[in-house]
Amino acid sequence: MINAISYVLMGIGIFFWFWGTWPLVGHRSVLYKLHSLSVADTLGSMLIVVGLLLKIPREWPLLVLAILSLAIWNTVLGYVLAYCSSDTKETGT
Amino acid sequence: MNIILISMILALAIPIYEACQDEDVWQKMLAFASIASKTSIMILVISVLRDDWMIGVVGVLILSVGNAALMLLAQIIKRISD
Repeated sequence: MINAISYVLMGIGIFFWFWGTWPLVGHRSVLYKLHSLSVADTLGSMLIVVGLLLKIPREWPLLVLAILSLAIWNTVLGYVLAYCSSDTKETGT
Repeated sequence: MNIILISMILALAIPIYEACQDEDVWQKMLAFASIASKTSIMILVISVLRDDWMIGVVGVLILSVGNAALMLLAQIIKRISD
């Protein structure tokens, strides 16, 4: 039962990955791509790690650390990338 | 588990393609950030698949230090382009 739940979680996570990464290919603005990428990528990765956590609960310190660093770093990185890219655009025009 | 890994590699191919074809430096940075987080999650999945604790430690290290390095790189690119 728990095995099936973890597979379903990982499947949903990979679906989120594809959903968030697909807009990268188009010709949209950087901020649009950044938004879809940071939201869907972080959510998908966290779902995959939770699925792994259900599968092997023995390694919980490592996986909880992975979830925490995902949640904190991807948010900060998204903010910094948005700040840097929008700043150069303003000075460029 | 193998199907999961194959679909992860397929998802990883999208940002690699984007990093190859796009000339704008911020779009490239975005693709690289995506590649970094996706590869570290793949390393974690492989560590659970092989039941190897050490590979998982490497994945978590890349997850935390690699994103910090990307942040510093973005700051440097901004300083240079200003």
